[in-house]
Amino acid sequence: MDKKFTNVLISLVVVLALFAVVMFVLGAKEPAEGAMFNFSVDQSSVVSRFVFVVIGIAIAFGVYFATQANKAWEVGTREVVWMAIGAALYAVFSFVFNGTVFVVPSASQVALRPAIAIPMFFGFAFGPVVGFFTGAVGNMFGDALTGFGLSPQWSIGNGLIGFISGMWMLFSDKKKSMDMVFYISGALAVIAALLFFLNRSIPNMLYFDVENGIFGDAQISLFAGIAILIGFALIFGVRYFFKNEDVATAVTWGMLGNILGLLFASLSDIVINGLSLPATIVGQFLPAAGPNLIFAAILVPMLVVAYASTRRQSGR
Amino acid sequence: MLVAWRYRKRENSFIQSFDPRAWVIFFLCFLFSTLTFWDVRFLLLFFFIAVFSLVTSGVKWHEVRRAFLFIIGLVFFFALLTFLTGRGGSEVYEQEHLIREYRASFSILGWTPVLKVTVERAFYAVSQFVRVSSMAVMTVLIPYSLNPALYGITFKGLGLPDKFAYAMDLTMRFIPTFGRDFQLTMDAQRARGYELEKISGGIVQQVRKLGPIVVPVTIHAIISSEDIIDAMDLRAFGVGPRAWLDVLTYTTRDRILIAAGVLILSASITLGLMGFGKFWVPQVLIQMFS
Repeated sequence: MDKKFTNVLISLVVVLALFAVVMFVLGAKEPAEGAMFNFSVDQSSVVSRFVFVVIGIAIAFGVYFATQANKAWEVGTREVVWMAIGAALYAVFSFVFNGTVFVVPSASQVALRPAIAIPMFFGFAFGPVVGFFTGAVGNMFGDALTGFGLSPQWSIGNGLIGFISGMWMLFSDKKKSMDMVFYISGALAVIAALLFFLNRSIPNMLYFDVENGIFGDAQISLFAGIAILIGFALIFGVRYFFKNEDVATAVTWGMLGNILGLLFASLSDIVINGLSLPATIVGQFLPAAGPNLIFAAILVPMLVVAYASTRRQSGR
Repeated sequence: MLVAWRYRKRENSFIQSFDPRAWVIFFLCFLFSTLTFWDVRFLLLFFFIAVFSLVTSGVKWHEVRRAFLFIIGLVFFFALLTFLTGRGGSEVYEQEHLIREYRASFSILGWTPVLKVTVERAFYAVSQFVRVSSMAVMTVLIPYSLNPALYGITFKGLGLPDKFAYAMDLTMRFIPTFGRDFQLTMDAQRARGYELEKISGGIVQQVRKLGPIVVPVTIHAIISSEDIIDAMDLRAFGVGPRAWLDVLTYTTRDRILIAAGVLILSASITLGLMGFGKFWVPQVLIQMFS
């Protein structure tokens, strides 16, 4: 292990420990009990946003650290250019589709994003580093273009989507790892959907405001709630009926990336915006992750097939 | 072909008189500070900084007109939406004071549209507008005032490793190009009878409709990247430590700007942690309508 990486790792751990002390020791109690900070309020969000950025990067770094010898981590000229292309494409697509395609209302501004297929495809085709850069930087520039400022923890969440989509390269037994990924994502999807059905009747939800009679919310909520199951079923179908190993790998790992990446971002909102667990899962995770899966199941296979045929033609 | 952002050297531009690294650092501090506040009184300060940067940037109105009309329109639309539905605001205020209630004279399926105009909703919409538009103004100025030739060295100077700094450089250069490619592809498909706006079919059909745009733009980008890869390989990219054509040096004014940015950010965080800057409504108005 060369010195540079150990240094980076040590500094990451130190930063993390520092934030942990500030958050959990000084900020855990209610203000009345003498805590210095109270982290359940919106105002403290800058610090906690950074914490989640650090945690997200640390997760990616940890995976890298454990499997350093693998070829998937090499960054040469091609990877640098692919990173840039992926990020720029993701930014452009999120910009053009954000306003023009229909928008699902939820607790925060989480839009339907067909562009999500880009980090998944780039992660699958060019590896986890390219995937991470595509998701994280692309989302950052996309947000900047739209003029919404930035929420770094969602950028990192998007980065993790691309990152996990590329992790299939780290496993020698493709089939076995894919099955495992499939079961994990299935279980997570079912748990999230269950949470939705259990919490539908809770009246005090931000986004399910029956009393004020907000338009069409009930229908959209139902769709958003079960979209993750529809997406899962679509991916199941793509995997077992198309009989194309590349397509199956891309959609399965993309699904896991989507679920874990967005789970990371929405769980971070528990700390950052003080939302409750059901509120963030039902209000943010499901409306984002469910439709994303549908887009992934349809657009990613198209890209994989088109890319395979161009590779055959050009011989690269 | 690469399409460039509309940067040009502007005389008397306040932004361009700084080192790009210093401006990027200040910009990031500005963004995070703005995110700390919901109080209009604090937000107006940031709005003032943004407007000041805009006015002194030397960017002509006809250059930014389209970008601005789009962004201001979008921000206005979202502020209006939160105002009408009261959605989103309920995260920051609990009590509402009614100014006037409009009740529709008809009902749809047993639901009567009601518009409640409350002090909190109105102020929330104003706060949101000021908050988002100050961030948007600062962001829009970046591509107009940052020299594309300096992108790489700027990110390198901010601490990124060579390869990632170069990737960021390429990303910023590719965005306008792919935007143009997207528009071209869209037009070409439309000429062949492609209709994105037509709403028909189920969700799967709807999503599949995006294929004729997403696939050609992506695959074309990947194929054309081969030229860039070859060009970089021929110049021995990544073989040794990179030397950059331009050298950036901080001057006194850059240090002052960075210090100002850091000061604003730390002041904002401190104020935020002390409980200032939360959503604010004038007491007078509350008393008037309670």
